[in-house]
Amino acid sequence: MSFALPARQVTFGRPAHVPPQPQPQPPHAAQVYSANGLGIQQHQTQNPYALPGPSSLALPGSVPAPTYPSQPQPAQAKPLSPPTAPVSAAAINALAGPSTPAPSAVPATPAPLTLEQQHITAVEGIVPTLQNIVATVNLDCRLDLKTIALHARNAEYNPKRFAAVIMRIRDPKTTALIFASGKMVVTGAKSEDDSRLASRKYARIVQKLGFDAKFSEFKIQNIVGSCDVKFPIRLEGLAYSHGQFSSYEPELFPGLIYRMIKPKVVLLIFVSGKIVLTGAKVREEIYTAFNTIYTVLCEFRKP
Amino acid sequence: MASAYYEFYRGSSIGMALTDSLDELITSGSITPQLAMKVLQQFDKSLADTIVKQVKVKSTLKGHLSTYRLCDDVWTFIIKNAQFKMESNEIVHTQKIKIVACKNGDAIESGKR
Repeated sequence: MSFALPARQVTFGRPAHVPPQPQPQPPHAAQVYSANGLGIQQHQTQNPYALPGPSSLALPGSVPAPTYPSQPQPAQAKPLSPPTAPVSAAAINALAGPSTPAPSAVPATPAPLTLEQQHITAVEGIVPTLQNIVATVNLDCRLDLKTIALHARNAEYNPKRFAAVIMRIRDPKTTALIFASGKMVVTGAKSEDDSRLASRKYARIVQKLGFDAKFSEFKIQNIVGSCDVKFPIRLEGLAYSHGQFSSYEPELFPGLIYRMIKPKVVLLIFVSGKIVLTGAKVREEIYTAFNTIYTVLCEFRKP
Repeated sequence: MASAYYEFYRGSSIGMALTDSLDELITSGSITPQLAMKVLQQFDKSLADTIVKQVKVKSTLKGHLSTYRLCDDVWTFIIKNAQFKMESNEIVHTQKIKIVACKNGDAIESGKR
């Protein structure tokens, strides 16, 4: 397999992907993700080559052929197949609107952990949208916050309430907290690249005010994604059978809090079928977590 | 407690007029500069209090917030394409306006320039 991939490949910390299922990726399926930025596309293009798994023989020649989700394929007989089998469904469901997973595809026992190595795929054409990325940067230089607040635009500094300058820029639309130690937190970006670009812009602003600011130790600390599975969910049932991971206190909060261990992601699952995923450090964790939970949610679909 | 009041109303037309008059009186020897300072401090206080307590006229402002800043409890807003709608339904349009808003002890006042 050739890794002729562009820059962001760094974040893909898993060199040898041996996913449990075959993931036929019709070339056109990649087009569906074009709106989601480079990251996914890379995976999509990588996929057909990166799947040496034994099960790939279940769908030998399916790579270029558009396979339809409603047709049960041999590979789908396995309990874990739903998240991966309808990969080509991405192409179709993108047009078709609400997806209806085939009831036969609902697994009897979800095994969330085994999917960890799984590739980013669209389950039933649903791909979580990234909503927020929080990153930290060390400017590596003491800062006089008052100077920054006085000279920079769109800055707030109220030391009585918070010991940092709050600064915003419009493009990428983000907010930064700048501390006197030179540490900075940048929030609000919708993609990794935006987060990095915004952080660089803030560093540049601070530099222009006469500080010897560097751009070091950029690190994404949290990624939040959300999506809609478009069917209602029985949260009580889910909380009962996944008690180890779930916390559901409807009197305190209407959503079920699902603390997935692998990948370490926290999911807020709502009756409506809307899901919020948070706590990921790389976007693949969001996708993996969603694929994992999707099989579970199908099981607890409200009749 | 003169220090509790901002001096920026001295830049308004009424403040300028007062300063000019006091200058004249000092030059003519009618009052001492100390008294003039006292008068100006009282002016700062009185205007601030009056605007808070007695001005009831309202106007609405619409526009695009270009930049803002909060430092030392003073908000500064620069608003582009601002449109003031007065109580009399009169509309005043301007390309750019700067609003300086200050907090003042327990009373909160805003000054417009």
